[in-house]
Amino acid sequence: MATDFWSSSHYKRWMLDRATLRQARADDLQYVDDPEYLDFLAIFFANLISRLGKKLQLRQRVIATATVFFRRFYVKNSYCETDPFIVVAACCYVAAKAEESPVHIKNVVSEARMLFGKYGIKSFPSDNSKLAEMEFYLVDDLECDLTVFHPYRTLMTLCGKAGGNGGETEAGELGVGIQDGQRYWGTGEGKLELEEGAVQMAWFIINDTYRSELCLIYPPHLIAITAIYLTLVFHTSTRATIQAQTQSPPTSSGASASSSPPTRRSSRTANSHKKAPQDIVGFMAGLNVSMALIATLSQEIISLYALWDRYREDHTAESARSAFAQGQLSAFGAAGAGTSGKRAGHARSGSVLSGTTSSGGTPTTGDLKDDGAGLAEQQVVTPAFLVHLLLRMREARLADMAHPATGRPMAVNKMLERAQAAG
Amino acid sequence: MLDELSYNVVNDPMRIYRAKRDFARKRVTDKYSILGFISSGTYGRVYKAESKIDRVVHAIKKFKPDKEGDIVTYTGISQSAIREIALNREISHENVVALNEVILEDKSIYMVFEYAEHDFLQVIHHHSQTLRSPITPTVLKSLTYQLLNGLLYLHNAHIIHRDLKPANILITSSGVVKIGDLGLARLTYQPLQPLFAGDKVVVTIWYRAPELLLGAKHYNKAVDIWAVGCVMAELASLRPIFKGEEAKLDSKKNVPFQKDQLLKIFEVLGTPDERDWPGLKDLPEYQNMKRLDYSDVEHSYQNRLAEWCQSRIRPHQGGDLLRQLFIYDPDRRLTAYEALQHKWFQEEPLPSKNVFQSVPANQIPPHRRITHDEAPSMMPVPAANSQAQAQIAQVQAQAAAHLSQQLMGSHPLSQQSGRAGSVASFASLSGGTAAGGSGHPRKKARMG
Repeated sequence: MATDFWSSSHYKRWMLDRATLRQARADDLQYVDDPEYLDFLAIFFANLISRLGKKLQLRQRVIATATVFFRRFYVKNSYCETDPFIVVAACCYVAAKAEESPVHIKNVVSEARMLFGKYGIKSFPSDNSKLAEMEFYLVDDLECDLTVFHPYRTLMTLCGKAGGNGGETEAGELGVGIQDGQRYWGTGEGKLELEEGAVQMAWFIINDTYRSELCLIYPPHLIAITAIYLTLVFHTSTRATIQAQTQSPPTSSGASASSSPPTRRSSRTANSHKKAPQDIVGFMAGLNVSMALIATLSQEIISLYALWDRYREDHTAESARSAFAQGQLSAFGAAGAGTSGKRAGHARSGSVLSGTTSSGGTPTTGDLKDDGAGLAEQQVVTPAFLVHLLLRMREARLADMAHPATGRPMAVNKMLERAQAAG
Repeated sequence: MLDELSYNVVNDPMRIYRAKRDFARKRVTDKYSILGFISSGTYGRVYKAESKIDRVVHAIKKFKPDKEGDIVTYTGISQSAIREIALNREISHENVVALNEVILEDKSIYMVFEYAEHDFLQVIHHHSQTLRSPITPTVLKSLTYQLLNGLLYLHNAHIIHRDLKPANILITSSGVVKIGDLGLARLTYQPLQPLFAGDKVVVTIWYRAPELLLGAKHYNKAVDIWAVGCVMAELASLRPIFKGEEAKLDSKKNVPFQKDQLLKIFEVLGTPDERDWPGLKDLPEYQNMKRLDYSDVEHSYQNRLAEWCQSRIRPHQGGDLLRQLFIYDPDRRLTAYEALQHKWFQEEPLPSKNVFQSVPANQIPPHRRITHDEAPSMMPVPAANSQAQAQIAQVQAQAAAHLSQQLMGSHPLSQQSGRAGSVASFASLSGGTAAGGSGHPRKKARMG
C-alpha cells in the first residue's frame, strides 16, 4: 500500500475532476462578488495550515497531509456553512496522528487560538472537546481515508542523492526498514542528479502547489515531475547546464522557453545528438509520462504564482515574512552542512515565492515574478479582507436560510430542520 | 430574529453543518442487527452482527467512547484507532481481515469487519482441551502457510503488525486464515518518527522478539517473523514455546529488563553469540543479558531446538523452517517471502486453501460463542439514565457469564475450551474474562 498508489484510497476515491470541484463551490459562489476570491481563500487557508503546523512543529509532510484533508473536506462542504478555522485546526490534529507524529489536543487548541486571534478570529473554542468533536466529523467526511500520497516521495526517488536515502529524504535519518519505494508508473530508471539548490527549489514548488486544488486533481508523481521540469527551466545554473548541453541542435532550444515543454521530438534529438555526462532531457522523456500533461500542470502552477503574487499578508506579514526568510536561510545552512532532520524538516516548508526575499544562494524565481508582473495593477487581496469576506458569506447564507423564498422568516430550530431536510 | 441567528453563527458556526451530517448519517442499527456480544478489551467491545441488507454476518468493533466522569464526551480519537482505520482502508488481501466500513456515531467509532468463526487460540484450546490430540501436520502447515502469506502482503505494503499472537489470527468457517487487529500495526515507509517513539512496548511478551527484549530502538519486519515462529511452535505443541513472566513497568513507566522471558528463550535456543549476531553487543540490554548466562561455558545454554522439535514437529523440514524463523540476528532471520519458499511447503502434504479440508467434521472447532446479555447495551439508550442502565446491564451480563462458567466448572476441560471460544478473537482482554486467569500475558502489552 505504501508503495502502491494505484490501489490506494487516494487514487481510487480522491482523484477528482474540475466539474466536481466547481460543483463543490456552487454555494459559495453565490456569496462572493468575484469567483477569484475563492482561489485566494485556498491560498489563505493553505498558508494558515502551514503556519499552524509550524507552531506545532509538524513536518512538511504532515502539513501537506493536513492541507489535503482540508481540501477534501471542502469538496463536500461550503465555506459559507462552516467555520473553516476549526476545520484547519482539526486537519492538523488528525494529520499529525495519521502520519504517526501526534501532538496533544491541548497544544493544538492553544496554538490555534493564538494564531487565529491574530487574524481577528476570537470565536475559536477554548474547549478541547469542541476540536475533538470537529475531528470526529472530519474523519467521517474524509470517509476514513487517512493515508495520503505526496509528490515529495517521487521527487526524492528521482532526484535524491544516490547511495541510500541518507539526509536527502526528509525522514530517511530514522530509517530502519525503509526501502526505496518502487516507482509506481512509467519505465524510467536511474536518478537525475541535480544541484542541492535545484532539488530545494523543486521541493518548494511542491510546497506551493498545496495553495491550490491541484493535489485533488493530479496524481502526486505528476506534480513532482512538473516541479522538476519547472526547476530545470527556472533554476539558473541548471538551466545554463541544459542550454550548454543542447546548444548545437537548433530545434532543442524549446527547453529554455518558459512554458513550452520539451516535445518528444526535441528530446529525441537531444538524446541522439551526443552523450552528455547527464542527459536531462532524455531523462525526462524516459519517465514515460505525458509531457502534454506536464505542460498543462506547469501552466496551472504558473498561474497560481500569478494569483499568489496579488495576495499580501497584512499586519501579520512582518513576522511571517521574516519567519519565511529565516526558514530559507537555515534551509541552505542545513543543506550545506547536512545537518539533522529536525532543522531540515523546518527548512523544507519553504516556498519559492518567499524565497525571492532572501539573498545570495537562493534560487531566484525572477521568471515567475515577471509572469505575475503584468497583473500587478489588479486588486491586491489581504487576509483581513478574506476573513471579513468569510464572515459576510456566512451571515448572508444564514440570512438566506432564515428567509426562504416563501418570505416568511424562520426560527432557528426550523432552520435546522430545513438544513436537515436538504441533507 | 437575525440577532438570534448571528448569535448562533458567532457561538457555534458549525451547528448547521453538524445538523446536516447527523441527519444524513446511517446509524449502525439501521444497517445491522446485533446478534450478540463476542469479547471486550481495553479498546472497547466486539459484537457479532448481521447486515440488514444482505444478511451477511460481520464483527463490529466498537471503540469505547471517551468519558469524563460519567459524561460521554469527545476527547480525541485514539492513535490506535486512527492507525487501524487508516491502514485498513488501504489494504485488501485474502489472508487479512477485511474492513467493510466505519461508522462514526454518537461519539463512538464502529469498525465493521468481515466475520471469522474461529481463531488460532481457539483451535489450540480445542486440541489441547477437547480433542486432547495434536494438530495434524497438514493443518499445521496450512495454517502457517496462510499466516505467512497474509504477513507477506502486509510486509510488502510496509506494514509491521507488531502484535501477532494466536488470538489475533482468525480463521473463517471456510478455513481461510485472516490476520486481524492492526491496532498496533505501523507503516514503516519513511516514518517521520522512529518506531519506538510512539509505543514503548510492542508485541505480547511471549511472542516478543529477542531484539525487542534487549531494548532495540530500531527494529523491523523481523519482529513479526519471530512471532510467527512462536505461533507455529504453539500450534505444534499446543502451548506457548517461550512462556515467560512479564516484568512490569515501574512507577515511572520505564521499560524493565525482561529477564524471565529471555531465559525462556535461551533455554530452548541457547545464548545468542556475537559471532552469529553482530549487532548484539550494541543493544541497550546487552550487559544485563551477559549477566544472565553462566560464566563457564560448560553450563551456558545450548541450542536444544532440534530436541524440542523431535517430539513435536515430526517432518524434519518443519523443524528446519522453525529454526530459521528463530534466527537471533533479525537481519538473517527469514523474511515472509523466504519462509514461503521453504521446502516444507513444497513437500507432501501440500498446504490447502481450506485449512480444515483434512479435518473430520466432528473435529472442527466449535463456533465462536456469543453472549446475548450484553448486546442491548451496545447502543447508548437515549434516556437520561442510559449510563446507569448500561452499567446495570453490564453487571448482569458479567454475573451471567460468571455463573455459566461456574456451572461448566464441573467439567474442568470444557470450562477452558468453552471460555476460549468467546474470549479469543480480537484479543487484548480485560483481565477478568481471560481464559485461565493467572495474569496471562495474552493480554496486549500496550501503553502510551
